[in-house]
Amino acid sequence: MPAVDSRSLEDLGERELVEACRAGRPGAFDLIVERHRRAVYLLCYRFVGSHEDASDLSQDVFLRAFRGLRSFRGQSTLATWLYRIGVNVCLNRVSAKDTLRRLTTPIEAQQFVDVRAELPSDLMLRNERNARVRAAIARLPRKQRATLILRTYHEMSHQEIADVLGSSVGAVKANFFHALGSLKKLLAETA
Amino acid sequence: MHLTSEELVDIAEGTRSENSAPHLAGCHVCREQLVDLQSMLSAAKDVDVPEPSPLFWDHLSARVSAAVAMEDDSARRKGSRFLPDGLRVLVDALMSQLGGRAFQASVVLAAAVLLVVLVGGRRPAPAVTEAPVVATAEPRVDPWVVPAEDDASLTVVASLTDGQDLETVREAGLAPRGSAEHAVNQMSDSELRELRRLLNEELARSGA
Repeated sequence: MPAVDSRSLEDLGERELVEACRAGRPGAFDLIVERHRRAVYLLCYRFVGSHEDASDLSQDVFLRAFRGLRSFRGQSTLATWLYRIGVNVCLNRVSAKDTLRRLTTPIEAQQFVDVRAELPSDLMLRNERNARVRAAIARLPRKQRATLILRTYHEMSHQEIADVLGSSVGAVKANFFHALGSLKKLLAETA
Repeated sequence: MHLTSEELVDIAEGTRSENSAPHLAGCHVCREQLVDLQSMLSAAKDVDVPEPSPLFWDHLSARVSAAVAMEDDSARRKGSRFLPDGLRVLVDALMSQLGGRAFQASVVLAAAVLLVVLVGGRRPAPAVTEAPVVATAEPRVDPWVVPAEDDASLTVVASLTDGQDLETVREAGLAPRGSAEHAVNQMSDSELRELRRLLNEELARSGA
């Protein structure tokens, strides 16, 4: 039986924190949430394009992580493991049709962006362009969408994406290539 | 021979230099593909995520924490399926009160009930006598009843529940139907031992 680590939770590294969680140490899982909540939320938001849905999905991701913590072997980083759960939750829960419907009405999103330094005409053009790109990304096939999101917005390496998606680096690069190609076609359709 | 998708991605992302692919300079098709890739990469990167309110992050943590607590609670309930009904009623009542005043009150109450049982001892079934019951003018004295002022367990209960008003107790969900007390009174010795173990575990976990 491993010795109980008496250090403050803040001082624990990732693996030790996971062990603390498994041992039922109060606050350990809360700290994991605190450290990863932003990344998980942003990932979910990129998939669904809605603050409310991204919040719900983030909660679901962490709940699944809590349930599955005992099976976390530490073969990847905790972040990669959480991304894997996040991608699965997002792809399984949200159909492209739903996402598309939300993304074509990005009024809610516009309210949060800092636009103080932007001319109204520029802002309108930018919002319009962003909405088209979001909608096009939402229409990408599942693996292409996941690859594009993880690579472009989360700056994950191809290897990390391969770990998350359970594929090879070559497949990830091919997916990325096709995702960008599909994006061009979809944007051309809506031009 | 044209560049592979992998090579084009590497060049578009800048992880590989264009000079390492001399084919690119003379191939219109590959050059066009590369320009398209770079253009789409740039378009995708430009799409930002609206920043939620700074208060949102703690709200998200609280939501997750509540969901996890519920999950934990549910798992405990599943784990307590083997318990007899009376004990499960009490355990469920305790577990459902996780958090805040209600939990505190329920722990105090449960501990008090337990103390009454353990310190005061359980009343054995009265012995059956063959002598006929004769009505007398004097009040009947039950040898198992200890005057309240002499009962140490009641003093303990009083000190533990001091400051807990009826409202708090009602919020805790344990009184007034006497579900906890009733459940404890119905328990066997082994059930009481299990209850004591669970309460100790809960008290240790909550740091009470």
